[in-house]
Amino acid sequence: MKKFAYFPGCSLEKLALSYNNSSVETSRMLGVELQELEDWNCCGATTYFHVDQLLAYTLVARNLAMAEKEGLDLVAPCSACYKNAYFTNKYIKEDADLAEHINYALEEDDLQFQGKINVHHVIEIFVNEIGVEEVAAKVTNPLEGLRVAPYYGCQIVRPKHNGMESENPQFFEALVSAMGAEAVDFPERLRCCGGSLIMTSRHAALDMVRTLLQSAVNCGTDVIATACPLCQVNLECYQLQVNDEFGTNFKLPVLYFTQLLGLAMGLPPKKIGIGSELVSVAPFFKKYLSKQVS
Amino acid sequence: MSEEKIGVYICHCGTNIAKVVDVEDVAEWAGNQPNVEVSREYKFMCSSLGQDLIEEDIKEKGLTRIVVSSCSPHMHEKTFRTACERGGLNPFLVEMANIREHNSWTTDDKVAATQKAKALTNAAIERVVHHQPLEQLPVEINPNTLVVGGGIAGITAALELANGGRHVYLVEREPSIGGHMAQLDKTFPTLDCSACILTPKMVDVGQHPNITLLTWSEVEKVDGFIGNFTVNIRKKARYVNEEHCTGCGICIEKCPFNVVDDIFEAGMGDRKVIYRPFPQAVPKYPVIDKENCVYFQKGKCKACEKFCPTEPNSIEFDQEDEILTVDVGNIILATGFQLFDSTNIPQYGYGRLQNVFTGIEFERMVNASGPTDGKIVLRDKKTAPKSVAIIHCVGSRDENYHKYCSKICCMYSLKFAHLVHERIPDAEVYNCYIDMRTPGKGYEEFYNRLLEEGTHFIRGKVAEVTNAARKPEEEGKLIVQVEDTLIGRQRRVPVDMVILSPAMEAQPDSKEISQLFKMGCDFDGFFTERHPKLDPVATMTDGILIAGACQGPKDVPDSVAQGAAAAARVAGLINLGTVMMEPVRASIHQEECSGCRICNNMCPYNAIVFHADRKVSEVITALCQGCGTCVAACPSGIISGAHFTNDQLFSQIEGILWDVRPEKELVSA
Amino acid sequence: MATKPTFSQEISNLLYASHGKPLKNCIHCGTCSGSCPVANFMDQTPRRLIGMINADLKEDVLDCNTYWFCASCYQCNVRCPAQIDIADVMYAVKRYSIWHKTYKDDLVGPTFSETFVKTIIRSGRSYEPLLAPTYMFSMGIKEVLQEAHMATQMMLKGRMPVLPTKIKRLDNFKNMIRRIIPMGGAK
Repeated sequence: MKKFAYFPGCSLEKLALSYNNSSVETSRMLGVELQELEDWNCCGATTYFHVDQLLAYTLVARNLAMAEKEGLDLVAPCSACYKNAYFTNKYIKEDADLAEHINYALEEDDLQFQGKINVHHVIEIFVNEIGVEEVAAKVTNPLEGLRVAPYYGCQIVRPKHNGMESENPQFFEALVSAMGAEAVDFPERLRCCGGSLIMTSRHAALDMVRTLLQSAVNCGTDVIATACPLCQVNLECYQLQVNDEFGTNFKLPVLYFTQLLGLAMGLPPKKIGIGSELVSVAPFFKKYLSKQVS
Repeated sequence: MSEEKIGVYICHCGTNIAKVVDVEDVAEWAGNQPNVEVSREYKFMCSSLGQDLIEEDIKEKGLTRIVVSSCSPHMHEKTFRTACERGGLNPFLVEMANIREHNSWTTDDKVAATQKAKALTNAAIERVVHHQPLEQLPVEINPNTLVVGGGIAGITAALELANGGRHVYLVEREPSIGGHMAQLDKTFPTLDCSACILTPKMVDVGQHPNITLLTWSEVEKVDGFIGNFTVNIRKKARYVNEEHCTGCGICIEKCPFNVVDDIFEAGMGDRKVIYRPFPQAVPKYPVIDKENCVYFQKGKCKACEKFCPTEPNSIEFDQEDEILTVDVGNIILATGFQLFDSTNIPQYGYGRLQNVFTGIEFERMVNASGPTDGKIVLRDKKTAPKSVAIIHCVGSRDENYHKYCSKICCMYSLKFAHLVHERIPDAEVYNCYIDMRTPGKGYEEFYNRLLEEGTHFIRGKVAEVTNAARKPEEEGKLIVQVEDTLIGRQRRVPVDMVILSPAMEAQPDSKEISQLFKMGCDFDGFFTERHPKLDPVATMTDGILIAGACQGPKDVPDSVAQGAAAAARVAGLINLGTVMMEPVRASIHQEECSGCRICNNMCPYNAIVFHADRKVSEVITALCQGCGTCVAACPSGIISGAHFTNDQLFSQIEGILWDVRPEKELVSA
Repeated sequence: MATKPTFSQEISNLLYASHGKPLKNCIHCGTCSGSCPVANFMDQTPRRLIGMINADLKEDVLDCNTYWFCASCYQCNVRCPAQIDIADVMYAVKRYSIWHKTYKDDLVGPTFSETFVKTIIRSGRSYEPLLAPTYMFSMGIKEVLQEAHMATQMMLKGRMPVLPTKIKRLDNFKNMIRRIIPMGGAK
């Protein structure tokens, strides 16, 4: 069993509990153990950078140091946590001055960070560590005929500047295909959902959500697959508010990709949190079950 | 103590040297060194008065050696050598010390700079004592010239030389000359038909008695030096006999197989497997595309041979590549450019979204003899677009791709806008640009014309091209998302067709080519000129010149100008008939030569011969280029390089170390 | 003699740790504003903000809501032809405006961020319900009711955090923070 230090992030405690459960379960079935990091603290999301940069890096570094202590790479399911951890890791490795400042603070918790580990997003574990072929091999109930829109969002692919990777990634589509589903050609797949703007600049964020939902609907999507709790909450929980604000009539199910994967691997829906959505997944399920019978 | 009388001149160079180096001190100190007869400091040694100083001192004081401490020899070595000559001394009896580029321009520390100036001057003083008078060697220049590349720059250069009565070998990689200019429809700003102005020149080249045209050929090896190059050229097999072929074209007509023409038609159209790139090709002989030919791949067909009317048959399936060796005096490289691959910028949708075209694809589309007969249509080859967006700066002015501006894209983007207006009068045309760069003659007026034609100009670099419609008017269209910076608002412009204006890049193999011809290219792959302002067509390698887009992005008028400039330079050299070779060359002390022959194979110019009877090696002076390889390789150390002898070099080193040598070596002040 | 830095110098100083090129390299091509998903909701587009910073228009910059609308999607960063780290500029101006306590009245962002940070300092984890007051008061009755409705539904589905959580080694955590910034009266 390959082990990783699992950094759930604040949202996965309750808000995105289904993402938490489905990630841990599906990766375990594929031979990867996500061991929750003990006593992890909030990564600060984007807001900490609004107040102080060095402090923001320090908070994230505490988690990195704890993972390094276990000798394990860090895995984060939330894109914002991932982005923070990835870049803090990168900058500490590159900048000795920054490392010195941060390690000075980390001393207070008996921690030091040497920059010996790597940081991954949960989706990267499936795509790189496990591999798309392995995943496909373990799929027992393929999501045949189901049109899934892979929604990357922002912080998985940016600000990592990998040229084609950042502007035209295909790994999420590959994963969706491995589940047996049809990956929809969703042109707004890399566009921001608004993130925390949903609270600070509500109207703007609702407009962004609406654009995404409209685009997905135009492509004939059955369900949107996300890889970030913020994206899922914005796209799903706020769908009713979008409808109220703009007079639209969206009823599009939004699930975490690990939930879809869990279904494809035969896990019971309750176990992977299906049923905790505000937007009913009934239409999607109806289509799914009908395909299962046939 | 030798009997030489040295004159030392320390230049102020205005304030360039004098601001940092205490020139009076250095001059005074130099005057006290051994063998120095006179030591002066002067404001501008390179001026006529400065040179006169040297001349007069030589005559009046009987000076035998000169040291000038000033700028880099690159600047004025020639000036001071000539001054010496006028004074009656051999020009190689002068040595320069660089106390500007190597000293005053590198530091603000006056004490350190003055100390270093003394060291450098002393090095020159000690070295120059060992200089010997040397004579430059005249070498004949072969009056033939090789021009590599048959685009407009190469054609111009070849015609200029040929019309002047000189023989030219013109080598072109493709089956026909013409280059990228042959692909164009109209040229800016005059809107001349490109083929109409190019083809007469191509015909001239094809028929010129002084031009040997080698198309479908590539240069493989270059040996020699200025005036005396030996070049191996591979003439690839056309599988068509050029002596018998009449160019009737029946073989092309009867060939049953089509392939996509990726080169001339930029993928927009087809060609046959046996083909001429375009109807006005020079020479007229077709070429068989071996990789796609059914006969070569599977042994069947041979339709071209069956229908060929000539007697004997012009199709020769067993034709082989030929290697030709030519001797030339100068080489002009005019190898041109390629366009940036727009798939590298996925957000513009090229290759993913159907109706996004690159500039060259659009050129072929609007060309009257192109794949759509000059009609502007979408990929379905039927529908005319009602709205077109033209995106400037694709891959240019961008740290992520190419930092430079490609110079021609603003102009050709305006040309595209004009062509759309002309062919589809009601169409809405949007040009999205960062800056409008129209500096040439008639170029700003061309921009004005486009404004009058009703083009919509949006000042903003396009962020993305998408097909994700958000409003009913965006359905089924390509949406160009851009900030209209002049009004400060993000706009989404729905259009039917998008044209990208990609950057001009160096050819993909330009680094290999520059190595083949032993000259340099920059990080972008463009060939390096000798001086960016004052010598744009010469390179650092004597005898190799460059012209056209291979030197940097440029338009047709500039390419023609450079082609003509290169030809003029070559013609001037040929006119002289001889070129003076630097006398820096090796010589073997044959009495001490053991005949080990290590040097024989080391020489890159094959300039060393072995006399089997006497068992000694000898350097052929005329071929030696003074590279120094044999000097270093000789295990007995008996090869000396003129002007770089051991005595000269060691005394130069000792001169620099004047202030750390043991006491007894120092001269009393 | 020490001179007071200009506004553009102040902002450039804040970007000393940025991995992009300096602000003065901006060629005003507009790619950032063209890519920005929220550009049309801002007072001034991101490019204009950079122009204003470069022109030392301090009051005008602090009067804008541009940077508080930034969602950190990084689309501008990835495409900028001058390779300027534009998202970093937004963060920098946010920090500057919080330090100087100068921002538009109707903005939720500053209070939201400060509350978030205080929550983390106090407990090591975030707690969404505490954030609600920061933005509820900027909304109209209709929106408040919508939010309340959504929150209730989420609570019923078990997705709303009920009680705040704390990390175990909270004291060490606070000492750690104090080594970076003295926290004054914050406990």
